[in-house]
Amino acid sequence: MYQTNQLADATINKSESAVDVQPDLNQYLMAVASHQDKAAFAKLFAFFAPKIKAFGLKQFRQEALAMDLVQETMSLVWRKAQLYSPEKGKASTWVFTIMRNYSFDMLRKIQHNKEDNLSDDLWPLYEEAEPEPDYEDDHLMREQLIQGLEALPPKQKEVVEAIYLKEMTHQELAEHLGVPLGTIKSRLRLGLEKLKEKMELHND
Amino acid sequence: MIKHHPESTMIHAFVAGELPASLSIAVSAHLELCPHCKAIADKATKAMADEFSGNEALVELAEPTPAQPVDEFATMLAAITEQPTDAPALKSAAVESSNQMALGEKTYTLPRALRQFSQTKWSGLGNIQRARLGLDEGDVHASLLQIDADSAIPHHTHKGYELTLLLDGCFEDESGRYEKGDFIILNGEHHHSPYTAEGCLCYTVSNAPLHFTSGVSKLLNPIGRFLY
Repeated sequence: MYQTNQLADATINKSESAVDVQPDLNQYLMAVASHQDKAAFAKLFAFFAPKIKAFGLKQFRQEALAMDLVQETMSLVWRKAQLYSPEKGKASTWVFTIMRNYSFDMLRKIQHNKEDNLSDDLWPLYEEAEPEPDYEDDHLMREQLIQGLEALPPKQKEVVEAIYLKEMTHQELAEHLGVPLGTIKSRLRLGLEKLKEKMELHND
Repeated sequence: MIKHHPESTMIHAFVAGELPASLSIAVSAHLELCPHCKAIADKATKAMADEFSGNEALVELAEPTPAQPVDEFATMLAAITEQPTDAPALKSAAVESSNQMALGEKTYTLPRALRQFSQTKWSGLGNIQRARLGLDEGDVHASLLQIDADSAIPHHTHKGYELTLLLDGCFEDESGRYEKGDFIILNGEHHHSPYTAEGCLCYTVSNAPLHFTSGVSKLLNPIGRFLY
């Protein structure tokens, strides 16, 4: 479990070197998810609230409506944080989609006086897992890749999936799994080699 | 195999939440059927989220000093964290909702974007059944159309634009054959007479009635509003 004072220290170091803040945001969101960490939420709020307000002003051209958007988006982030998982993407992408959805429903209400709240059906947010897409028969390569991936040892499979399919960075994944960066890199290398062997076997 | 896709500018507008509801439903439903376009949309979402969140350092909220009134944001923050969080059980409850639609002898599985319209009222004309979605977008009308097996819609053109997303079955016209998931936009330059051998279910959006162009089917023009 994350200690918020450690997170705060990490922030100071990061802001000095001006590196990507995204991994921090992910951690704050996960701290909110795991133990309703108010300090972590305050960090998220400080980061996102002004951005959401700016987005809302552009969208609605009214201060009060822009503040509604901040209020509703951040409330949803607080209440639904448990539904976030870093495998599905970055915290900022998650917050952006929540804001975009709520904003869409607000616009429907303002412009067409409709309260049909379509957004959650248009852009599914809270799903457990993506439904399996219908692959076409001619995607043989894809089938082989999926089979190859399934055949990997679980730890290698986990790393290959996270890096290539979920597009996490090595650093994010190392933090998420709580293992050193080097371990991620070696699992990835081993996994990819095995996958390559398997594909070549099939194509010869 | 899906051959007709929305343009990438349309996918971007959808991701930005800038498309009207009628077209958003069509794009969302297409993405559910088309991994190719889904990947484009996911990438666009990430890019827009990155632009939204920027890359600046985290800042602390200013601590209110006694001399100053409490900042509006600070009040809001305090109120939000007083709320209880949702129970994790909601996770599965959120995906529970029927997307089955029974119509005549057939039962269709609707894309998620259309599932709240599965109970819409249907009316029929000849071989065609139509259910209008009450989206209230002025001239832009959105409908589900079910066309019986071995039926043709007489030669016609479109005064405005017409979007057709094929949800089930297939049909063909002068330009080719369309299958489940195809996303077809036609405008006034296109004349066609679609025919379906096995029957089909479509989602359509248009901003003007069809205009029938040949022989006795011109008589349909007065009632063409049915198909719009």
